[in-house]
Amino acid sequence: MQVEVGWNGERKERGMRPHDRANEMLEEAESRLGRGEISRRQFIRLTTAFGVTLAAPGFLAACDVGDDAAETPTATGSADGGEPTGSVRFLSAENFWADWDPYQANALSQFRLNKQIYDYLLDFPTGDLSKPEPMLATSTEQIDERTWEFKLREGVVFHDGAAFTGEDVKASIERASGATDVEVVHAGSWVPTTVEVVDDLTVRLKTERPFGPLFSALFNTQIVSAADLAGKAASLKNQPNGTGPWRLVANEPTRKVMDANMDYWAGPPRIKEMIWEFVQDPQTRLSALQAGQAQAIDRVPPEHLEIIESSDDLMLASVTGIENVNLWWRPGRFELRDTSPEFRKAVAWSIDRAALTENLVLGQSAVADSFVPAGALYYEPQSPAYTFDPDQAKELLTAAGVPDGGPEFELWVASGFLPRAEQVVQSITDSMRQVGLKPKIITTDIAGMVDDIFSDDGTGAMYHISWASSGDPNGALAQLIGPGGVWSDKDKRVHSLLADGAAETDPDRRGQIYSELQQHLWEQTPHIPLYYSDFTIGHTKKLVDLRVLPNQFETYFYPASIQE
Amino acid sequence: MLGQALRRTAQMTLVVFGVVTLVFFVLRLAAGDPARLLNQPGTPETIVQQVRERLGTDRPLLVQYGHYLADLARGDLGVSFHGGQSVRDAVLEALPNTAALALVTIVVASTIALALGIAAALRPNGLVDRSVLVYVAVAQATPAFWLAVVLVLVFSINLRWLPAIDLTGPKSFVLPVATLVITLTPVLIRTVRQSFLETLSEDHVRAARARGLPERRVLLVHGLKAAALPLVTLIGLQAGFILAGSYVVEFVFNWPGIGKLTLDALASRNFPMIQGGVLVAAVAFVLVNFVVDLVYAALDPRIRLRAS
Repeated sequence: MQVEVGWNGERKERGMRPHDRANEMLEEAESRLGRGEISRRQFIRLTTAFGVTLAAPGFLAACDVGDDAAETPTATGSADGGEPTGSVRFLSAENFWADWDPYQANALSQFRLNKQIYDYLLDFPTGDLSKPEPMLATSTEQIDERTWEFKLREGVVFHDGAAFTGEDVKASIERASGATDVEVVHAGSWVPTTVEVVDDLTVRLKTERPFGPLFSALFNTQIVSAADLAGKAASLKNQPNGTGPWRLVANEPTRKVMDANMDYWAGPPRIKEMIWEFVQDPQTRLSALQAGQAQAIDRVPPEHLEIIESSDDLMLASVTGIENVNLWWRPGRFELRDTSPEFRKAVAWSIDRAALTENLVLGQSAVADSFVPAGALYYEPQSPAYTFDPDQAKELLTAAGVPDGGPEFELWVASGFLPRAEQVVQSITDSMRQVGLKPKIITTDIAGMVDDIFSDDGTGAMYHISWASSGDPNGALAQLIGPGGVWSDKDKRVHSLLADGAAETDPDRRGQIYSELQQHLWEQTPHIPLYYSDFTIGHTKKLVDLRVLPNQFETYFYPASIQE
Repeated sequence: MLGQALRRTAQMTLVVFGVVTLVFFVLRLAAGDPARLLNQPGTPETIVQQVRERLGTDRPLLVQYGHYLADLARGDLGVSFHGGQSVRDAVLEALPNTAALALVTIVVASTIALALGIAAALRPNGLVDRSVLVYVAVAQATPAFWLAVVLVLVFSINLRWLPAIDLTGPKSFVLPVATLVITLTPVLIRTVRQSFLETLSEDHVRAARARGLPERRVLLVHGLKAAALPLVTLIGLQAGFILAGSYVVEFVFNWPGIGKLTLDALASRNFPMIQGGVLVAAVAFVLVNFVVDLVYAALDPRIRLRAS
């Protein structure tokens, strides 16, 4: 096995797959499950938290029947020297909103597709952005607070056969970061960054200013061919050309067909063909999975968990998402909320969030205890844990000068977006009314809600909605409550801490900044964090080594395989 | 005759024009900015505005409408907001699938309605009649989406006889058509039954029997022809239902037709695709009604006389 120098001089074994490292965790989790210390769902959470849904169907089946007679399927495919086999059909819950124009879309569905077709400089197999692994870069070193050097992998080729070099990294990073004349959407999560090509396999990234969330930006930035960006950018809109494990062979509006890239630098995928298809209705997705017409389905809603869990052929891969489902106050729309911290806290004490997560979302979430999601970097749980305390809420309303609860305000909810959203909001308004608050529910679809949020003449004061992120607090918060963010209160301390966090490259100091920020936000309660929702994929037990991560709802099919 | 044809064509054009105009303005006046939906929160307004410019939604409403009509006159339905695919191509690809579903549904539903309606009418309050009426009551109270899920559960997941979703071959028609037929037949059966009951008591039928004509001939020639008239009318009126009903069915069965295309586009405010889907539905609706008028005239000489 070839050995090369990895991160910070560590020696790493080339060819070691993410699931090799996670196997130890699986063994531990299996042992705990066997001893009855954890439930099956906790077992799934534990294993997927380490980056992969491991080949445990046999084990789970054994638990079901109560003996050890279950057979563990044997993997077939390229990893064992064979040809890629089988076809996997994955039914996505999100439409493919964007085209393939590089860096011009930030739709989640596009990121998830890009991940199959493109490679990135770094890989984050556990979802922890502080623990990168080699991908197109084999090692990295921070030269100073603005400069990073990357050694690149040799022998990588794009799908069109062109060799991958430092020039491709330069073209990609400079385009994505907004360092060129081309205005791109991705620049919003970067600072302009120039790239010096030291030689074909060495590049130095120089950020315009110190940039803490560099790894988060790299997590989102696929490496595109310099030649394509220079000359064929228009054709890239319909035909992506990456270095990743799959090539796009059919590009229909709601259906993307990919074939195995037999020249993939880490070895061909084990699955020969992959089909991603948008199917809006969760029941239709479930029916297809149960009937064997799909091998994996997206975003399993709470009411379908039991059906999949009780099936002999199906299983769940579930992680707590980097997604805060919050009640977001729209600053400037409800004066009492804008001016009275007591009122904001009274609202926080008027909601029974534990009941919401246990009874309505059926445990498919965790009660939020910070404005930074639980899976993100520098997350710190805060106190007090706002629980349902009507007396406390009424006292605070009296202190705010509105013992009767104050005037009516609109609480918007989008039908068909978040699981059981209407029931959750109905429950919330019921408990709010118990303390005298006067929410008025407005039900719409997600398009109508987004329109009302951003319109100058919007009428909503509060919205039940979530935003996902890559797992860095900068991404999770800066675009939402930073300067210019629609949810921003123009709180100078918040803006200052966000700016400091984005500009700090030392992890410890960043941690201190975000710790302070989380405490400040919890104290001010500008919005109401409700819960961190789970991201759950349902799939056949024949599909193994599927990587499901909360970051941008990553669903990575390399090196997954489909068993005979 | 030519004048009548021209008049009907003008009427149909007006109806389609009215529908596409209404949909165009309702879509744009309703909440939901497609450019905003394509971007995450926090995206700079300059970027969102660029997207609006690319989509053409930044222009004044009447200018957009003028462009739309001009393009429509050339047969250009525009391009999808997402991915830039041609709407015309997408619609033309989906149309045969919806048409096939609707056609099979109408044939099966009409056959069942005639058979059960006549059988029920032959012996009012008999066992068959009562059984048919029970079926009508139950089927009428059954929502299409629920029925579709139950059928999938039984025949696709438990028995594994039929595909649960998609259009992959003749077997794929069974469950969607069954869902639509069960939803559609109650009103058709009631109409045929009632019409047949009235026809059987009319003078010309009694005269036919008095002349000693065989009962089969009396029923199939004299009775059926008269009973078919309201059925044809009803199917024409139900054309809209079949199209709308197939939207739900296409959604649940992932059927690659106009309904699914339109519903998928609606969630993301993909205006050109929605307009394309609605345009096809409107054209199909007026054409079906036109055909129904022709059939009606062929079946009933009084209509031809009145027209001439």
